[in-house]
Amino acid sequence: MSIIEAKNITKIFGSGHTAVKAINGVSLKVEAGDIILIMGPSGSGKTTLISMLGTLMRPTGGTIWIGGEDISEMSGAKLANLRLHHLGFMFQSFNLLSALTAQQNAAVPLMIAGLSKKPALKKAEELLEKLQLGERLDSLPKNLSGGEKQRVAVARALANQPAVILADEPTANLDSKTGHEVMQLLCNTACSEGRAVIIVSHDARLKDVAKRVITIEDGRLTKEEPGNHEPNCPTEHGGQKQ
Amino acid sequence: MFLIAVRNLFQEKTRLLISVGGVAFSIVLIMVLTGLYRGWNDKMGQYIRSVPADLWVMQDGTEDMFHTPSVLPLDYESKIADLDGIASVKPFSGRRVAFHTANQQDVGLYIVAYDAERQTGLPAAIATGQNVPQASEIIVDRITAKNKNIKINDSLDIAGQKFKVVGLSEGGDVVTFSFAFAAKEDAEQILRLPNSTNFFTVQLKNNTDPNQAISNIKNNLPGVDAVTKKQFVSNNTKLIRESFLPVILVLLIIGTVVGTAVIGLTIFTSVVEKIREYGVLKAIGMSHRQLYGVVIKQAMIAGLTGFATGSLIAFGLQATVGDFVPQFVSQINALDMLWVFGLTLAMATLASYMPIRRIADVDPAEVFKA
Repeated sequence: MSIIEAKNITKIFGSGHTAVKAINGVSLKVEAGDIILIMGPSGSGKTTLISMLGTLMRPTGGTIWIGGEDISEMSGAKLANLRLHHLGFMFQSFNLLSALTAQQNAAVPLMIAGLSKKPALKKAEELLEKLQLGERLDSLPKNLSGGEKQRVAVARALANQPAVILADEPTANLDSKTGHEVMQLLCNTACSEGRAVIIVSHDARLKDVAKRVITIEDGRLTKEEPGNHEPNCPTEHGGQKQ
Repeated sequence: MFLIAVRNLFQEKTRLLISVGGVAFSIVLIMVLTGLYRGWNDKMGQYIRSVPADLWVMQDGTEDMFHTPSVLPLDYESKIADLDGIASVKPFSGRRVAFHTANQQDVGLYIVAYDAERQTGLPAAIATGQNVPQASEIIVDRITAKNKNIKINDSLDIAGQKFKVVGLSEGGDVVTFSFAFAAKEDAEQILRLPNSTNFFTVQLKNNTDPNQAISNIKNNLPGVDAVTKKQFVSNNTKLIRESFLPVILVLLIIGTVVGTAVIGLTIFTSVVEKIREYGVLKAIGMSHRQLYGVVIKQAMIAGLTGFATGSLIAFGLQATVGDFVPQFVSQINALDMLWVFGLTLAMATLASYMPIRRIADVDPAEVFKA
């Protein structure tokens, strides 16, 4: 069973003469361990597609299943719960909570899910150490570099061990070297833990970390090709996971 | 999600200070006014409570000591004393007078006739000087003396008679005027009550029903009314209740509106500034209930910190201002604290409404926009 399956989904903004079809009959299956890079020009529908796959926007037509469940009739509260436990998010501008430290930011999804503060912070600390941010636990976002912020965002996205991580232009505010390092870290971590990653980006260099590269134009998926990610994932101990 | 609420609140310390300060101001306003109301209400009745009496007897139509005059013939004393259940009856004479001091200060006194033989018309307590007045002597209240710069041995010209101040009493200040005590013969010159008095104070025998005694007095003495001490105190403090309560109510509403507006505006500003962060929280799976909880907790923290600060200030004022402004008689009690605490919670809850509405409208998909 696919982690996410979208079948013939459409999204129309506005109505009548002003209606705009942002997504036009897109079908997509996301399997465990997939690292999908969705590329396309501005206005092609990338962000609309990832918003719908992330349950932040309802499609006008078609169906999306997440973990085998049709989400079209789900209430807002159920969708929020689904996002909390099954999906992780990364954003172009990091979107960390400015008042919280790196550790607290990474612990937020855990606390939302009901874990009390102490174990949540402990788990966040472990995650950040794994992402080489063990020295920056108490730093506020304003004192972190772009790369560090995005690594905190990775930790936050991974905190509840979601099945899928959705990343929207995650390298847009990073220099190329840092962007590549962060995405390598995300994809390797996700891959080694059997999680899927969907990345929406203009950055063609991300093909190096993707297993599948999908092109979207005018709301349609026009091409799919394999990415350059190694077929096997590194394990937590440095070996290769088959 | 207490952590997010606290960190958000403390991130902008100036705003938090304004919020807490605004609530504290409201709390001080509400508590001091309530305390003054209670204090003045208590003060108005303090002297009457000190007079040993179970019942007060007066001319029919008179309710208190200060408005409608009461004049009763002195021979009613024996008639009342003959009734069932009466242990003792004593006349009580007094009247309000106004005069100027030597330094042109307006003074309002309620002169009580001190009867040395019957031991009536004594001050509640003495602060300094003599505790009973002799001929041409007067005892005035300490607070009035302080306000009007009257000192022991000063001479006061009251209604054409000269009095020497020989003592300062406690517990006789009733805000707009105060009780003063002069010898019966001197007081009668001022009061002009030949063979009459204003009231009779009655003490009952043990196990006598006060209501039955009141009925007996009314039935046997036409044109006479009688009330319990509690009722008489209440009648005499009615002025404070009637004039003060509407003012308190208006200022209470103003205080509540100010407090609610200050918390509401500061939390709303904070929410608007962080609206994207609330969108992120929605996107990563925080429920509406949890989001609203963050806002309510912020409002509660600001409100309760303001309550604690305001209460401390109000108690501080209560403890110190009275030394400089004697009319500042504040009595804040536990019940007042409790309802002001409840009011603070209500203010914080009400103040959360607009910020919550704003958060409810946030589209989490907006967070994907750069």
